[in-house]
Amino acid sequence: MDRLLFTLNNNKVEISVSPSKRLIDVLRDDLDMKSVKEGCGEGECGACAVLKDGLIVTSCLIPAGTITGSNITTLEGLRETERGKCIIEAFADAGAVQCGFCTPGMVLTAEYILSKNNHPNENEIRKNLAGNLCRCTGYDMIVTAIISAAEKVGGLW
Amino acid sequence: MSNNISEPVRRVDAIEKADGRAKYIADINFANLLYGRFVRSTISRGLIKNIEVPMLPENYYFISSKDIPEGGVNKINMIKEDWPVFADKEIRFYGQTIGLVVGPDKEILLNIREKIDIEYIKYEPAFTIEDALSCKGGAIHGKNNLYSNYHLIKGDPDKAFEKTEKIVADEIHTGFQEHVYLETQGMTGLMENGKLTIYASCQCPFYTRKAVAPSVNKNVEEIVIKQVTTGGAFGGKENFPDIIAAPLIVAVNKIKKPIQIIYERDEDISFTSKRHPSITKIKTAIDDENNIIGMDIEMFINGGGYESCSDVVLQRAIASANGVYDIPNVRIRAKAVATNTFPSDAMRGFGTPQATYAIETHMMHIAKEINLEESEIKRKYFIKKRGKTITNGTIHEEVKLEEMWDKISSLSDYNRKNTQYKPGHNKGIGVAFYLHGGGFTGNGEQKIINAHVRVKKHKNEKVELLVSNVEMGQGLKTTFSKIAAHVLNLPIDNIIYKNPSTAKVPNSGPTVASRSIMIVGKLIERACIKLKKEWLIDEEIEIEEVFNQPDEFKWDQEKFQGDAYSAYSWGVCIVEVEVDTYTYEVKTKGIWSIHDIGKEIDRLISEGQVSGGIIQGLGYAYLEKLDLKNGRFYQNTLTDYIIPTSDDFPSMNIYFTENPYKYGPFGAKGVGELPHDGVMAAFSSAVEKAIGKNISKIPVTPEYIMELINDG
Amino acid sequence: MVETYRPDNLEEALKIRNSEKAIPFAGGTDLMVKYKSWTGTLPKFPLPLIFLGHLPELICIEKHKDFVSIGASTTLSTIEDDKRIPVHLRKAISMMAAPPIRNIATIGGNIGNASPAGDTICPLITLDATITLNSLNASRRILLKDFIMGPGRTLLKDNEIITKIDIPLKTYNIELYRKVGTRKANALSKLSFSGVANISNNKIDKIHISVGAVAPIVVRSNEIEKKIIGLRLHEVKSKKEEIIQGYSALIKPIDDQRSTSTYRKKVSINILKYFLTIITNKMDKNKNLC
Repeated sequence: MDRLLFTLNNNKVEISVSPSKRLIDVLRDDLDMKSVKEGCGEGECGACAVLKDGLIVTSCLIPAGTITGSNITTLEGLRETERGKCIIEAFADAGAVQCGFCTPGMVLTAEYILSKNNHPNENEIRKNLAGNLCRCTGYDMIVTAIISAAEKVGGLW
Repeated sequence: MSNNISEPVRRVDAIEKADGRAKYIADINFANLLYGRFVRSTISRGLIKNIEVPMLPENYYFISSKDIPEGGVNKINMIKEDWPVFADKEIRFYGQTIGLVVGPDKEILLNIREKIDIEYIKYEPAFTIEDALSCKGGAIHGKNNLYSNYHLIKGDPDKAFEKTEKIVADEIHTGFQEHVYLETQGMTGLMENGKLTIYASCQCPFYTRKAVAPSVNKNVEEIVIKQVTTGGAFGGKENFPDIIAAPLIVAVNKIKKPIQIIYERDEDISFTSKRHPSITKIKTAIDDENNIIGMDIEMFINGGGYESCSDVVLQRAIASANGVYDIPNVRIRAKAVATNTFPSDAMRGFGTPQATYAIETHMMHIAKEINLEESEIKRKYFIKKRGKTITNGTIHEEVKLEEMWDKISSLSDYNRKNTQYKPGHNKGIGVAFYLHGGGFTGNGEQKIINAHVRVKKHKNEKVELLVSNVEMGQGLKTTFSKIAAHVLNLPIDNIIYKNPSTAKVPNSGPTVASRSIMIVGKLIERACIKLKKEWLIDEEIEIEEVFNQPDEFKWDQEKFQGDAYSAYSWGVCIVEVEVDTYTYEVKTKGIWSIHDIGKEIDRLISEGQVSGGIIQGLGYAYLEKLDLKNGRFYQNTLTDYIIPTSDDFPSMNIYFTENPYKYGPFGAKGVGELPHDGVMAAFSSAVEKAIGKNISKIPVTPEYIMELINDG
Repeated sequence: MVETYRPDNLEEALKIRNSEKAIPFAGGTDLMVKYKSWTGTLPKFPLPLIFLGHLPELICIEKHKDFVSIGASTTLSTIEDDKRIPVHLRKAISMMAAPPIRNIATIGGNIGNASPAGDTICPLITLDATITLNSLNASRRILLKDFIMGPGRTLLKDNEIITKIDIPLKTYNIELYRKVGTRKANALSKLSFSGVANISNNKIDKIHISVGAVAPIVVRSNEIEKKIIGLRLHEVKSKKEEIIQGYSALIKPIDDQRSTSTYRKKVSINILKYFLTIITNKMDKNKNLC
């Protein structure tokens, strides 16, 4: 077990964990961040996606020992921000939420996409979402949600 | 609230899911939780000779058939009682449940599991439909490996075939398909208020209750099943949870502590039920004037090691075998066979996708044979109101296919493109017509389910819907609430609809068969109409409604004849593709669809169902290859079992045609499965035209396309 | 419980590598899948890990006169976005996995894993990349082509760490990268084709062709390339069949859960033919312009 210091949703965290423990398990089991979902454990589905220093990453593939000093954002943090609220509302209004299991990963990836380009086109969105699998929606409404978030309050990014 | 119910509202559960507060079974903490992991057979067929379990530390258990209590039965009480809770002698498929290791520490459980040694006597397995029919290795089930066998006749097919020598024949194959709900199978069992209770990600709490009770020698009322927010299901959580719940309840009954079982993804793909693979042989008799005068269909579905719902899937496949066509003189022989593969079970469409792919592809091939355009021949045989179905029933409703075709063919520019894209020149556009019967087949709604619904007005003027149907992403919490809110003229926030518990709600039936809105929604509508009349402020009022089959629908279950469904939803789907001449990959350029679902209870929710169903269907058509290798599923990770990403298909054009059904709430019929029924044939037809070669199986992979092009 | 090391700098990392058997761990996107265990439990690594992904000496991109140098722990997305890197490699990287993986995975890791479907390897070999391996007291630089021995096997010694990948900066006026994956995005390669060439004075003065995932190691043949260098248009056309036969003999794919050997072979050859057509078309056009 090692002492791990990092920032989670803008709060400093210090916990004792094994450095090879998966970040998804640290977040869900040690820090009660249940919005981070496990869909596959192999980095394919994106349900476990979180932001690490502003970059979208699959937390099931990251050992705790590599996030020392990093800034991790989960949906618990993002939902408290204006940008997060804007994306959440856009998803809800566009019909982009069905069973909801892929949604946390999608919302965080949406934040990532918009932080790189606050007016992405459909093609760009589809390419950047390809690491987030959804079985319910067929993706169209998720793409619409992100475009609508950009249109409504693109200035936030 | 808008006057037109179809006007979209925000889903009642959208925010809690989008902001991450919604809790799925893996998110729920239980005190003193133990974990369970299955021990499964590593052979496909044979007998268990010996099970060697190491010495177990305190608080660790190996639960098996020996733990079934006195009076309990080692059988899961599903449609048939053939599937054992724990295999203790016979093994019928690779991955069959033999035991469950339970304990507080997962590392120790993994260790224990590794040390368990099982000795088998191996028998020769049968994996394919052909193997089953020839009883390879001896019959697995009964005398001839048939779970179910039908032979039905419409008109006089023998006479029709005597009249002509011109026959068009096809043999069409469809493969296994995995649901890939983003949330894997999961449940937690415990003692709660003195009762054996299971919190589960599931579609049918009452099915599960019924399935597990006999294994612990209890009456169903002594067991409580509570549905938890469910991360996708698609039929995969209809019956399959019973397979997990029965061993779990035996374990909880013995240990009396909370036990959680959540599948890993590769475990889920490897060891849960799949869509039934099918082989359909169709022969059509054509006269000198190129009229279809008769059809002979032989259909086989691979049921796997135990029957589960194979008979019911076959029934629906039979009822869908002529698609949207009124074909005179039909013989259909259909069989569900037993093999040593993981038992096949429910998946969105439930036999209709397989049957539709076969009939649509066959009609397309007939068109080619007689030099007609695909849509021309299909439209010629559209069934109409009062037309006779394959089970000698009647279509009671107005069929709007012509009108739907007019609209969608024009929007997609089908006719111009179809003429322009010469066969074999790498571009193609295909069309499929399809239907989906709403509710249980035949008299199932009355005889098997007999749905009960209760609507309860609370003293605080809120109204609670008490039904056993679940929200699994299809928007039911919102659509049911909308129906109630509209009838009662209340804001939707005044409607309460919680995840059902068998202890709290009546049995309104399972969330399957595209029945929820059409059948249960209607009962809610009726109950709310009554409640509105009897409404009293500050009073608590409860109204119950029970399903009643309207008299005009006739069905003979024994002969399997009559009105298989009281209403159908209808669809037309057009897909345009371009095939890469170097890699044989298919790029889908456009997708257009139009559906008649009576009336959309919420247009955005209905569009969501169509969107999701079409993409899932396109996955089945092009990407989702699932092979068996020595009786095990070969592509068993999400890396290798390929479902569509956001970048695999273009955005869809979705339309609806209104055609209110008098026994549906606000005229609504079912929509959940319909969009997954037809798109495969439209895709396949488009590719067939693009490459100029006949296609007769899905998935139509680039490897298969290459084979077809190079063999000709 | 497996020990992990988190050295502060490269020298410390090399000291550890020199003293015990340990697994170099940069992004870890391959290793975490390979050794994954039950949710909530630790991955089952057989040896201690040395975390390298944070080492500043290994995260860098430097452009020199004739080559560009990439630190082994540089992530794929950083490389993808950096315009100093040859577009051929950036294109290949943009088709790998998906953004969340590209933000973690490193070029060193992709090479070290040496999967036949490792998508940086094929274009790097085409571009004549070299790889630098450091040990505590030594450093060596070899062609990447010579570093990969087979599926999962490289020349990396137990006391070495991959530190840099250098890519010569040359001019190519023809470039084709084609990955055929199991689906359009977020997919493993069934096969990949990486070809660059330069036409000068209407002769082929450079040509490099590599095909990935169709043999235990990337297929690249100096022998066949030598036969093509210096050829004029009519010579290329007449030798086309011979060139194709040459590659055909080297392309020996397998059947697996993703694809078939027949498909992989046929499609590689199709793309090779297409590449040669691009070349002859360009030479044709040049001829007509003169």
